Amino acid sequence: MIQLIIKRLAIAIPTLIIIIAFVFGLMRVAPGGPFTNERALPPEIEQKINEAYDLDKPLIQQFGIYLSKIAKGDLGPSYKYKDFTVNELILSGFPISLTLGISAIIISLLLGSLLGIIAAIKRNTIFDYAVMGISLIGICVPSFVLAPILSLFFGLYLGFLPISGWNGGNIYNLILPVVSLSLPQIAIISRMMRSSTIETLNSNFIRTARAKGIPKRRIITKHVIRSSILPIIDYLAPATAGLMTGSIIIEQIFGLPGIGRYFVVGALQRDYTLVSGVMILYASLLMFLILLSDILRAILDPRVKIK
Amino acid sequence: MNIKHYSKDDLDNILSVKGNSLYSDAFKRLLKNKASLTSLIILSLITLLSVFGPYFLQYDFYETDWNSIYLPPSIESGHYFGTDGNGRDLFVRILYGGRLSLSIGIIATLVSVIIGVTYGTIAGYFGGKLDTVMMRIVEILYAMPYLIFVIILMVVFGRNIYLLFLAIGAVEWLTMARIVRGQTISIKEKEFIEASKSLGQSSFLIIIKHIIPNLAGTIIVYITLMVPSVIILESFLSFLGLGVQEPLTSWGVLISEGSREMETAWWLLIFPGLFMVLTLASLNFIGDGLRDALDPKEY
Amino acid sequence: MQTILNVNDLSVNFDTSQGLIKAVDNISFSIKKGECLGIAGESGSGKTQTFFSITGILSDNGTATGIADFNDVDLLKLTEKELSKIRGKKIGFIFQDPMTSLTPHMNIGNQLIEVSMIHKKNTKNDALKKAKEVLDIVKLPRIENLLKKYPHELSGGMRQRVMIGISLMCDPLFIIADEPTTALDVTTQKEILKIFNDLKKYKDITIALISHDIGVISEVSDTILIMNEGRIIEKGNCKEVLTSPKHEYTKHLLSCVPEWMK
Repeated sequence: MIQLIIKRLAIAIPTLIIIIAFVFGLMRVAPGGPFTNERALPPEIEQKINEAYDLDKPLIQQFGIYLSKIAKGDLGPSYKYKDFTVNELILSGFPISLTLGISAIIISLLLGSLLGIIAAIKRNTIFDYAVMGISLIGICVPSFVLAPILSLFFGLYLGFLPISGWNGGNIYNLILPVVSLSLPQIAIISRMMRSSTIETLNSNFIRTARAKGIPKRRIITKHVIRSSILPIIDYLAPATAGLMTGSIIIEQIFGLPGIGRYFVVGALQRDYTLVSGVMILYASLLMFLILLSDILRAILDPRVKIK
Repeated sequence: MNIKHYSKDDLDNILSVKGNSLYSDAFKRLLKNKASLTSLIILSLITLLSVFGPYFLQYDFYETDWNSIYLPPSIESGHYFGTDGNGRDLFVRILYGGRLSLSIGIIATLVSVIIGVTYGTIAGYFGGKLDTVMMRIVEILYAMPYLIFVIILMVVFGRNIYLLFLAIGAVEWLTMARIVRGQTISIKEKEFIEASKSLGQSSFLIIIKHIIPNLAGTIIVYITLMVPSVIILESFLSFLGLGVQEPLTSWGVLISEGSREMETAWWLLIFPGLFMVLTLASLNFIGDGLRDALDPKEY
Repeated sequence: MQTILNVNDLSVNFDTSQGLIKAVDNISFSIKKGECLGIAGESGSGKTQTFFSITGILSDNGTATGIADFNDVDLLKLTEKELSKIRGKKIGFIFQDPMTSLTPHMNIGNQLIEVSMIHKKNTKNDALKKAKEVLDIVKLPRIENLLKKYPHELSGGMRQRVMIGISLMCDPLFIIADEPTTALDVTTQKEILKIFNDLKKYKDITIALISHDIGVISEVSDTILIMNEGRIIEKGNCKEVLTSPKHEYTKHLLSCVPEWMK
């Protein structure tokens, strides 16, 4: 297990450094970026930027300093909000994005897997067709179409739910964003789970379990699920990436002041430091999730430990 | 015994028999699939309407009319899908948006297919260390939150529509490269490749003449599945205000405007959304149908 | 001797995309208590489907008609729930492919003990005791250690022994062995067949041994059934049928066996 973690970190850390180098490089070529000469900035920011990036030092050294600052968790000052650092901005949005993201991922995983398993057991019945039909809609209707339609219907037309704002994390304010964020993932996960469960149900060891006279329910819980859930574990990181990009849109639509919102505002205003800070945060989170899904896989599948 | 002598060209022709019947059979099977056939019809209609429709409509897409702001859909007024806050006809705007969304879908997909196929065939055909290194790069790029990456490209280089094509194409090629590599590895083991090699054909010619034609089926399937994801990506960026800019319009721009004004004019959201969803669903069904049709093992 | 299984007019059909396929065509046979019946035939002759159908483990698109009296109970009339109380308890199974027939994420111990815990409501300790007993019968070494291992850590021969062990957990009356040695190398084959002979001698278990390999069948079986295209071609005492076959197909099948094996 420890070997596996070390091996993964050996890939993850260089990858992160490459991403950071890429972001660092982009900021140098960006027109009107922090490193071009013809900038017209208020002197306070100019001063801060110069300090932050040690512009008087050679390039490699600058990158080294930049890296070591990131390693310490310092993402530098914001390029547009002169009184804030990128850390402060991200920290203010993080609880909101995290609540949204974690609820969405838990709901997608639980509901998606459950629907997929039941559809596989009851395949070619009305239940199966219904789940697959709904998941098809989930795949074909992008979140930026779904979310406004949901808020039009439940928020404005029926008046059940608030359509925007955070309201201190009130559960009613969370429902529409979380639902719009998780529906596409539920659709994908339930499809994956259905096909992997069908594959497992047709495998030889399930025939053995039936020949042993094990009751159906126990076959599903003890023999099928642990095998058929493996593709979902592998999908954990891509699902998170999907939720990250999804949350950028969802926070925009529902007026939630999360990280995604800052990212868009930063992008529109060319706040390079903020945008690269968010990019680095997202990339690190993804690396962490890839590691997590590898560990989970090793726990669930005894065959992995050998390698 | 009568020994026939073949020229190199003859042999080439014999060795590269593509089995046209496979593709025409596949097409027949595709037409038998009801979902795919319906999707094919819907998609053709939307494409034809987007390309030729605007010439036959009485309104222009930039024509503002302050006397007909937020008109609901009606047949009498000639605004079949209503008008927006500037009194512009929504139907025409949807068709113009469709031109842009569809062409971005096609062009960016082509960019990614060219990159992906080249990269994948080279890695797969030459194998060894080159393959390991190339695939490791793909793996690393896979781990990037690539939409955010596109956004950063758009931020740094400004919102330019050609860059948009390139940026989207540049991130979508990864899957294609992986699939093409896998297929190339299995094709290169086949006897007809061995035969071409023994004739002294160069690697470049073998890839162009023998490997790529045999990949055609797979590539077509993935094109139909990639176009929708590119359309979504473009709309996503446009929705955030980072993609297509006024006066140009795309489905993403229209949906974005519509969602801001849905309280006053629901049609501004529903109709562009409907066009987009229909297109995405059709492409998905066609892709699935093609995959089944090209893989006759099931039958 | 008492008859343990009596099959009458059994037919098995599969509903496939190419229409209805008849896998077993109206066959009848019986097995006596303590007997070892060999069922020989090429692949696709319906020999496996015959036994899968009467025990209710056909794939979903298969249906069976006829009568299959096991201990005077018609198995084909039972519900899935009732059948699952017979499978594993009174009828044990051994399958062809030991590499894929064990659950990969469950250790050997748990795969063994769940059988008797479910059917006999044994406590975990009693079940473990029984598990060690059966692993001893199938001659597996270092049992304590083995119980904690996962299938991928064992060789094919060891897995097949575990499979036989599982089938013995509830002291069944009847064991169905479907090509139990086909996927194994020749020396392991011999050892597995020896276990079958021991079972016959000491445990008085009835065995149905399905194989395409006449050599394997002749080593263990008392009686033999020759099947082809879903029908029974010839049946009788194993030695008699093999030394003086009456039917052309049997002769043909025997001609495929190398001379030295006869």
